[in-house]
Amino acid sequence: MRKKNDFLFTKDATRFYFPWMCWLMVFISTFICGGGMLIYNSLTGWQRGVSESLTVQINTYDEEGRDRGELVLQDVEKALSILRTTPGVIGASVLSDAQMNDLMAPWVGADVAVTSLPVPKLIDVAIDADNPPFLEQLKADLSAHVPSATMDSHRIWLSELVQLSNHILKLIIFVLILLATTTGFTVAYTTRSTLKIHEGVIKLVHMMGAKDLYITEKYALLNAKYALFGSILGTITALPLLWFIISFFQKASETVFQTQYSSIQWGILGGIPIVVAVLAFMTTFKTVLSYLRRFL
Amino acid sequence: MTSNEALSPVIAEFNGVSFRYKGSTDVLKDIHFSLAPGSFHFMTGESGAGKTSLLGLLYLDHLPTKGRVRLFGQTVDSLSRSAKAMVRRQIGVVFQDYRLLEHLTAFDNVALPLRLIGEKESEIRRHVSELLAWVGLEKQMRAYPQELSGGEQQRIAIARAVIHKPSLLLADEPTGNVDDAMAKRLLHLFLELNKLGTTVVVATHNMELVRTFQFPQLHLNHGKLELIPPLTSYTDMATRLLNKGNKDAQEK
Repeated sequence: MRKKNDFLFTKDATRFYFPWMCWLMVFISTFICGGGMLIYNSLTGWQRGVSESLTVQINTYDEEGRDRGELVLQDVEKALSILRTTPGVIGASVLSDAQMNDLMAPWVGADVAVTSLPVPKLIDVAIDADNPPFLEQLKADLSAHVPSATMDSHRIWLSELVQLSNHILKLIIFVLILLATTTGFTVAYTTRSTLKIHEGVIKLVHMMGAKDLYITEKYALLNAKYALFGSILGTITALPLLWFIISFFQKASETVFQTQYSSIQWGILGGIPIVVAVLAFMTTFKTVLSYLRRFL
Repeated sequence: MTSNEALSPVIAEFNGVSFRYKGSTDVLKDIHFSLAPGSFHFMTGESGAGKTSLLGLLYLDHLPTKGRVRLFGQTVDSLSRSAKAMVRRQIGVVFQDYRLLEHLTAFDNVALPLRLIGEKESEIRRHVSELLAWVGLEKQMRAYPQELSGGEQQRIAIARAVIHKPSLLLADEPTGNVDDAMAKRLLHLFLELNKLGTTVVVATHNMELVRTFQFPQLHLNHGKLELIPPLTSYTDMATRLLNKGNKDAQEK
């Protein structure tokens, strides 16, 4: 005697391919999602480094080694004015001589006055971490109005890298959405094919008084079961590949790349099969319901 | 009329019903009739006269092109999908081509209507086993339809149609593939159900059965319906055929 949930429908060719299709989708999704999370983790680490502050230097000596005297103070005022009016900058202040002495003490000793050394004036710039300034534009503005000013180029490079990583992350999310949509369409197409194969059975049980919800639920549960099976297999087979990526990142640089997943991230990776099963259930449900409307 | 009939609304009521398939001419024309609760009718007529279409209207396979069909006191046009399903549950149908599900055993095929209404498995086992024994197929319980003869398949189809004790039983040539003895045995099963209150309509070409079991006929002729009282003898049948021949000749 048949089990209660699958007594209506037999196995057919499309049903055979269905779990394998889910396997492939989940395999790719786990791979992309796992890789994406590593990039995201590294990205947030880098962001922490660039989000807090920035330093602008004003040269006190010209290219020929002459003291620029009063011009330095004028340039400092101009730079401060530009910085304070730049969106994303929440504060800018010149380091005092005492602060400069403290800063240089490890290299030149506590007894040497910084003012006697050819060191630039430093402006400490506080940045809004949630809404940082467009550094490339800021650099251009400073160069145009204060030629003696220079910005920490390492931070700009890092900021560009963060932007690039953000784009990569968006691309990964886009690919995941694309995969989910493809899975949805494939489920709908497969369901339509199997419905056509089982039309006789559906017509018969419909005529016997089976409600739309009953047939739909049976079908959707069966598809969800197959999807879950294929998806779990997809996750299991994708894990060795993820392990390979992690080892690759570890070898490349453990300080630059984060190679650990948080427990939530492990949960997301483990939850992909459930998401696919739910997606299969919902798509099948909607497809079967619209198919049944053609019957009286 | 029994007391049962007096209390219940009519099972089926057709008023000026016509029906045509898409792109064809009328298969049924201006049909008027009603089925009282607990009644038994034969549906007769030549092949292509519209018997299957009329049965289709009775089990809600299609809606009338014109006129009004009422089933169990409800006009079918205005029923919601859910209400139509509930109406269908009160109807048992024996199809001419049996429509058994090939991937299910004889037992599971017969159990299907009970499973659809969510009957308990223990009850299903008991009822199905009893009924299969009654139609002489207890040994073929685990057999698949393709392993059974035409007659055995037909008996499975009949068992499936009556297992849930429907209020209305519609049978399209239910005795077409069985010998006379089995045909009468099956008709007796329908009679038993009828005595319990089930309204029965049996479409058949077998005039011997019509004569033996004296019930009125819903006779279809080129899409027109005529209600014929029970045949009582071969002479009666011959007289009617003769009268019909004369009438047709006059019309020509």
